[in-house]
Amino acid sequence: MKIKLLLVLALAYSSVMMAQSKEELAAKEFFWGANDSYKDKNDIPDKWKNESAVVIYKNENYDFHKFGKNVTYTSSVRKRIKLLDKASVEEFSEFTYTKRFRSNKGRYSWREKGNNFVGIKIVKPDGTETELDVENEAVEVDGETKVAISNLEVGDIIDYYFYRLEPFKSTYAFGFDPVEVSLGEEYPIMDFKLFFETENDFFINFNSYNGAPELKQVETEKRSIRRYELIASDIPKNEYPRWFYPLVELPSYKFQVYFARSGTFEDRAMAFLPEKEDIIKKSVSKEEVLNLYDTRFKPDGDIGDIKDFFKGKDYTSKEKKVADAYYYMRHYYLTRFIEAFYAQEAKISYNPFMYYGINPVFIQNQKQFIRHFTEFLKREKIDYEIVIAKKRFDGGIEDLLIEKNINVLVKVLTPNPMYAAFFGVHTSIDEYSAQIEGTDAYLLSATKSKIDVIKDGKLPASNHNDNETKKNIEVSLNEDFSKMNFKVVNSFKGFEKEAQLSERLLYSDYVNEDYEKYETESLLDLIKNKKEKARFKKEMDALNEKLHEKQLERFKNNAQSEYNVKEAEDYSYSIDATGRYGLETYFTFTESFNAQNDNLVKKAGPNYIVEIGKLIGGQIDLTEKERKRTENIYMDYPRSYNYEIRFSIPKGYSVSGLDKLNKSVDNSTGSFKSTATVEGDELVINTSKKYKHNYEPNKNWPLMIAFLDEANQFTNEKILLKKE
Amino acid sequence: MFKKLYCLALVISISLPLFSQKNVEPTETEKTNASKLKALYPDDHVALQNYSDVITFDLDKREQKVTVEQFTEQDYINMDSRADIQMYSFYDGESTIGVFDINYKNGKPTSFYLKDEAYKSSDLFHNDARVKYTHVDFPLKGYRYLTELRKHYKDIKYFTKLYFNSEYPTVKRTISIEIPEWLDVELKEMNFEGYSIKKNVTTDSKSKAKTFTFTMENVPAMFDESNAPGPTYIYPHILILAKSYTYNDAVQPIFNSTQDLYNWYKSLVDELENDNSAFKDKVTELTSSAKSDEEKIKNIYYWVQDNIRYIAFEDGIAGFKPDEASNVYNKKYGDCKGMANLTKQMLVEAGFDARLTWIGTKHIAYDYSTPNLSVDNHMICTLFKDGQAIFLDGTEKFNAYGEYADRIQGKQVMIEDGDKFILKNVPTHDAQFNKENINYTLKLSEESISGKVDKTYRGESRSSLLYYFNTLKNDKKDEFLEYYLNKGNSNIKVSGINTTDLLDRDANIDISYDINIKNAVSSFDDLIYVDLDIDKELSGYELEKRKTDYMFSSKKDLESNLRLEIPIGYKVSHLPENISVKSKNYDMSVAFSKEGNAIVYKKRFKIKNAQIETADFEEWNGFIKKLNTLYNEQIILTKE
Repeated sequence: MKIKLLLVLALAYSSVMMAQSKEELAAKEFFWGANDSYKDKNDIPDKWKNESAVVIYKNENYDFHKFGKNVTYTSSVRKRIKLLDKASVEEFSEFTYTKRFRSNKGRYSWREKGNNFVGIKIVKPDGTETELDVENEAVEVDGETKVAISNLEVGDIIDYYFYRLEPFKSTYAFGFDPVEVSLGEEYPIMDFKLFFETENDFFINFNSYNGAPELKQVETEKRSIRRYELIASDIPKNEYPRWFYPLVELPSYKFQVYFARSGTFEDRAMAFLPEKEDIIKKSVSKEEVLNLYDTRFKPDGDIGDIKDFFKGKDYTSKEKKVADAYYYMRHYYLTRFIEAFYAQEAKISYNPFMYYGINPVFIQNQKQFIRHFTEFLKREKIDYEIVIAKKRFDGGIEDLLIEKNINVLVKVLTPNPMYAAFFGVHTSIDEYSAQIEGTDAYLLSATKSKIDVIKDGKLPASNHNDNETKKNIEVSLNEDFSKMNFKVVNSFKGFEKEAQLSERLLYSDYVNEDYEKYETESLLDLIKNKKEKARFKKEMDALNEKLHEKQLERFKNNAQSEYNVKEAEDYSYSIDATGRYGLETYFTFTESFNAQNDNLVKKAGPNYIVEIGKLIGGQIDLTEKERKRTENIYMDYPRSYNYEIRFSIPKGYSVSGLDKLNKSVDNSTGSFKSTATVEGDELVINTSKKYKHNYEPNKNWPLMIAFLDEANQFTNEKILLKKE
Repeated sequence: MFKKLYCLALVISISLPLFSQKNVEPTETEKTNASKLKALYPDDHVALQNYSDVITFDLDKREQKVTVEQFTEQDYINMDSRADIQMYSFYDGESTIGVFDINYKNGKPTSFYLKDEAYKSSDLFHNDARVKYTHVDFPLKGYRYLTELRKHYKDIKYFTKLYFNSEYPTVKRTISIEIPEWLDVELKEMNFEGYSIKKNVTTDSKSKAKTFTFTMENVPAMFDESNAPGPTYIYPHILILAKSYTYNDAVQPIFNSTQDLYNWYKSLVDELENDNSAFKDKVTELTSSAKSDEEKIKNIYYWVQDNIRYIAFEDGIAGFKPDEASNVYNKKYGDCKGMANLTKQMLVEAGFDARLTWIGTKHIAYDYSTPNLSVDNHMICTLFKDGQAIFLDGTEKFNAYGEYADRIQGKQVMIEDGDKFILKNVPTHDAQFNKENINYTLKLSEESISGKVDKTYRGESRSSLLYYFNTLKNDKKDEFLEYYLNKGNSNIKVSGINTTDLLDRDANIDISYDINIKNAVSSFDDLIYVDLDIDKELSGYELEKRKTDYMFSSKKDLESNLRLEIPIGYKVSHLPENISVKSKNYDMSVAFSKEGNAIVYKKRFKIKNAQIETADFEEWNGFIKKLNTLYNEQIILTKE
């Protein structure tokens, strides 16, 4: 009996092995078989002889098949690359991958595993071809396989493929990760082919942009099998200059594939599916947007907490009520849980969430936010529209193709319309991603209970004065001029604020602020067990002390590099106002310190030269290459930087050189202006740098250069402290 | 996410009902101790109140190997409000970890989960080292953990040394080594001078085993400083010299002498087949048209440097045994041993006398007088020619024949010589060998300075530039050269760059170019202030808080001459004062002078031994301070 069992096992094992190698052979045949028309393609065009490497052929394939709920997803890529220097040989000299992996798609399965197959061959300049024995040359440690590519030299061609076979099960509709890429990559590409093979139940959204070739259908032997390909050639390598959105400028393509087994599942899919599987969907109409969302944004949520909050409060202004509700929700559904995440992360409590009671409301995504917030608006009888927008970096709403790219927010139809987007710990009412401001959007509304109207709209945009960094810098020299004393008041508003808040506030700073404002119970208050409470308090206090220490060290180092000084001492930092309850209110903090100023103060006989221009911090210093830019300019938002420097003139000295500190360049794209005056024993310098738009066409680049250069030149300006 | 977390949290709370341990909160005494320790070690966060190693030996009779048992106990205390650290232990094919316990101070076990992972190193493509580790949090000041670690070494050969210092400052460090009568081990006390290390020896009356106990108190943490000398130079440690053992009345040598160490290395080398047919043709190709022996050797040596990539597999014996030369040749990659072996076999094939050579780089303080596996860490090839030994290191890139990298200069080598071995030292070059010359011929105009620059690089200043340049992508090379010359400063415009062949490792590199410097001249009233120096070499080399010698990657010798012509109608009214300093490790001077209508600015910086010793720091820092003051001082011109 035992022998039999062993035999069965052995057989099963060997059949698995056989199956594997069959698939492996199929993969190899697919790329390098008799039909490989690139087998002998070894030459590259002269224009690319000075590149690091040239991709002779790149072939990407996506293959979707199913049997009921069982999906077999195969994705693969082959590249044939001529290596022209040591850097590229180094780049391709080691490969790392996992042979077997567990799919993260569909239903979790213990048994089912995916396979990665890899083939690598080297073609020498004389045409001799050697295929690597990957199986024997690889080392596998902790599930990771590594191959060092042998006999690879400058001038060789490396021809390799990765073939990923990923079976999984999905009962419900399943969306594969969207792909949004430009045609080009690090090295120039001679020929490129993107290939799809699908059958029924797989829905493809695909479109090409910015001049990339279209996806074309290829004839097949069976009607149920569908094949498509995109063919491109002569693709230059990509370069990524400053302020650049590659998906808007470079030839690119986007796609997403959805698996949905029947009409019901199709309806449930959170995607803009094509009407039928044999149609490649290239764009999404307004009606389709309405159809997808008409039932998905039904007001819904337990807003008892909000009602409690409003109890006894009287509002004359609807705007005020909406704003208050937004900030209260931000606290009640988000910031009051933050402590628990820290307590858990720091292992102070394994289970801090239990103190919040059973099923507290915790808002975790845009859609949940919309349902919850509109439930509040509905109860308050405040009209609203739902805004469907799309981020600028991958094209406008007219290029909508993939549902995941949608940003959704609420437009509250108060006398002055307000906007409410899914909150972060520091976001404000009327604040939404800088990526969607000023973009065309769709507005959804309901005439009765169901959403049934969609119309065009546009989101308001901020201007450069709304997004401001402001610094008041007081500087003085010590007696022997070896050190500088700084007191800096830093203020931020608009889009300039949130990143600063995240960097500068400890969680306890804003969590406690919210507890106080709303008189809610902190996590500590919620712990009833006395002993546990005492321990929790001690350990959280210790954690906060440590975080605070680290924070101060980091800020001190930041200040040193910002003001070009060394060995900062007596560093102090205080928050004057968090500005967390309004987009237009400033977040303000003050820091003071003294530091060695070798880089800023230079001895000139009995006098001193002060590099006063450096106090506005490093400015963009354009390289020759950047000056020749040919792309349009994409920035996140318009903004301004306003600095006031008050420099105490040491006793017995006078200042010369003010003329060079008076600068002014102002044009349609932006400006840099500065003024310098002596007021009593202080030199007062005001500088203002503005970026007026979030986008400039390339023809405006010289205008931008003008004010960027002026600002950079300011950092080179000096004053002379002249001994009287 | 929240709901999921919430459920998970509930499950955990049920399975771990006793999360908060009783009697583990720090006592007042512990808190006070933590504060006292923090005052002593302000830069550290966690300290060890006790750290002890007990080492015992046994004989694996079947394998005929002396095994080692290392039992380590540590008593951690947190000196900060809170600390989060990783506790870890390495092992490999020659060692195992038996016990790794982390306990609360009351001795009860904690629930930290130990991960076991392959150790990944950026230098090694693959190695057999693994690490067991876990993340440990100290929630309060004075919080303690007690750890026990039992590590087993299968062969005493691989148990080479024990340090007193560790990652954390230690109140009391004890190393206790029990040597049985049948084992001959020398415990060589290294770098003990200047430290108060107590040694106590007891003999067990029954077994005759001797126990050596070393105790050191208030041991600081190992220094976390870059460019420091290797640890064997700076920390007290015990070198374990396993000499021999007696089994069945017969004495079996381990590494009784350097000969034994050589014998073992040689036994590994003797296992090589050395079938050179794979590269016979290549050797012919490289040597057939060479006009001299030297040219043949160079052709082979440079071919190895240029065509064999450094990829290291350190798996078990592969850490000590070179790969077959033919394998390295066919794969076009290898580690130092593989490259040394290929260099040797190719030279042998070409009719030369080439030998494998073991060496400890400058990172290691030892020479072969202490036979131990930690003496060396590198392999090169020695070529005997006309009675001279020439050392060839295939891992070096753009290293010229007869030139030696600083990391091997002066180090002792063990050269294979049949059953015997030859000890020699790699020659040293003086700093002048790496001399770098910079000549500026500049003219001052209204607002800028312009003129010509000539730079010459020799020795290691040359090879490092060539190496770096040749790792760049083809399409980035021009850009880099410009960036290298203007230091990424847009006030400096560089044009008309001319260079010698940047692939030729035998000749000096010469680079000449035109330069224009903006914003270096400021005029106020009738005075012109000139910031003359755009290089400001060594300005960041003040070694204020440093505790270890500063090691340069090579000896430096820089001579910079700048001549600035000033416009007619101006005279120089102020030049900074000249400075200079001379010592055994450096000669440095900066001098200004006027020659006709020109200012001549000369800098000489010579770092003679690639090292600034801690004893030099006061003088050195004094000079660097003066240098920085000088760099900051402006040259002043006045209108006549």
